[in-house]
Amino acid sequence: MVAGTRSRRSRVILIFLLLSSVTLLTLDARDFGPLQRTEEILINLLSPLHTGLDDLFDPVGDGWAGITGYDELKDENEALREELQRLRGQQILESDAVTRLEALLAQVQLPYVQDIPNVVAEVVTANVGNFDRYSVQINRGSADGIRNGMPVVTRGGLVGRIDGDPQRGYSRVTLISDPEFEVGVLVVGTDDVALASGGGDAQPLKVHKGLEIETEVVIGGQVVTSGVDRSRYPPGIPVGTVSAIDFDDARLEQLLTVEPSANAYNLSFVTVLLYDPLASDT
Amino acid sequence: MNRVSGHARGALLALTVLLLHLALFSDLKVLGVAPELPLALAVTAGLVGGSERGAVAGFAIGLGIDLYLPTLFGLSAFIYAVWGYSVGLLEERIFRSAWWINVTITAIATMVGLLTYALLGELLGETNLYTDNLYVVMGVAALYSLVLSVPLLGMWRWSWPTLGRPRR
Repeated sequence: MVAGTRSRRSRVILIFLLLSSVTLLTLDARDFGPLQRTEEILINLLSPLHTGLDDLFDPVGDGWAGITGYDELKDENEALREELQRLRGQQILESDAVTRLEALLAQVQLPYVQDIPNVVAEVVTANVGNFDRYSVQINRGSADGIRNGMPVVTRGGLVGRIDGDPQRGYSRVTLISDPEFEVGVLVVGTDDVALASGGGDAQPLKVHKGLEIETEVVIGGQVVTSGVDRSRYPPGIPVGTVSAIDFDDARLEQLLTVEPSANAYNLSFVTVLLYDPLASDT
Repeated sequence: MNRVSGHARGALLALTVLLLHLALFSDLKVLGVAPELPLALAVTAGLVGGSERGAVAGFAIGLGIDLYLPTLFGLSAFIYAVWGYSVGLLEERIFRSAWWINVTITAIATMVGLLTYALLGELLGETNLYTDNLYVVMGVAALYSLVLSVPLLGMWRWSWPTLGRPRR
């Protein structure tokens, strides 16, 4: 009798909880403001504890990454040594290369992104589960002028875009590695606007649409955002470097593999470009 | 120890483990897979506390982790409540509390929980959940749960020390 009552009570509680979950799912899907504000308040309340523990355990996480990723670290170290040697050899040419790149960008009429207002933000949460490999949370939001879709960059170039309507003090960033991420690009020195998309975890980007077969592209070519009419991204943000070229004979297009110019992993700080394509039209 | 004190301990435990997951365990990846500590916590709550406490704890832990996930708010709460309840029900009706059974159930429930999370998420329009990598994630996360369930079960027993087994 007691077991039966207990069992019935458990079922009623479960049904109530599941209905509550469904309600929350529905409200979140509809971007219900009060729910988002409540989430933000809770994150703010937990933030000091979260940050404190983060700082405390950072060395442990780094140590673990060193142990489990020893082979990758070794390879990376080797690659960095080679890169250092190459850079030493090219040191004298370096300033000239920058000048040439600037000249090239100017040639294809790409303005510099430094003129665009921006907000520097700290990455507060990254990859807390196994299903959020392509997104991070930053500590700046709508109060700082951030809006859905704005480009997110680091010194190296484009790393992602703001995903969804930001909260007052927080935003979520979809990283460029996300296979769903698409950006209009231009291979510097060509006129073809193509479409690049994320290649997944630690994979290069793919340029798979819009690059005609006769367009001359070289390995090592710079890829930047195209900034075509109403694009979410201003022109000239570095995206990556061409590392392989294939041909789609059926569609008469080139397929490029592009190594991202900015590292989208282990981000600490990012810059959000407060870029509004509609405003820049006027 | 009264009932309120038990709930307070349980809440404190859930909050502490959630923060530890965010700050530490989410970085401890093997083959690119992190432990699913919040899900394992919800499942072990069901094993120790029974279906009712399992459902409530699962719902609360799920809401906590949902704050930090890009998926729809409430998705983890739904899945964790279901698995906290189901495992609690199994424990009450079928299994007895041999430690190795509890540990194995936690690992299996972690795998099935991840699968249902990915399927329900995809059904609701989320992307990148049901991927080629999902079965690797399920396998590694289950192994993690196998190890982590021992301390988690101990911690729940500390939270609810006077909890009697449900009468049948």
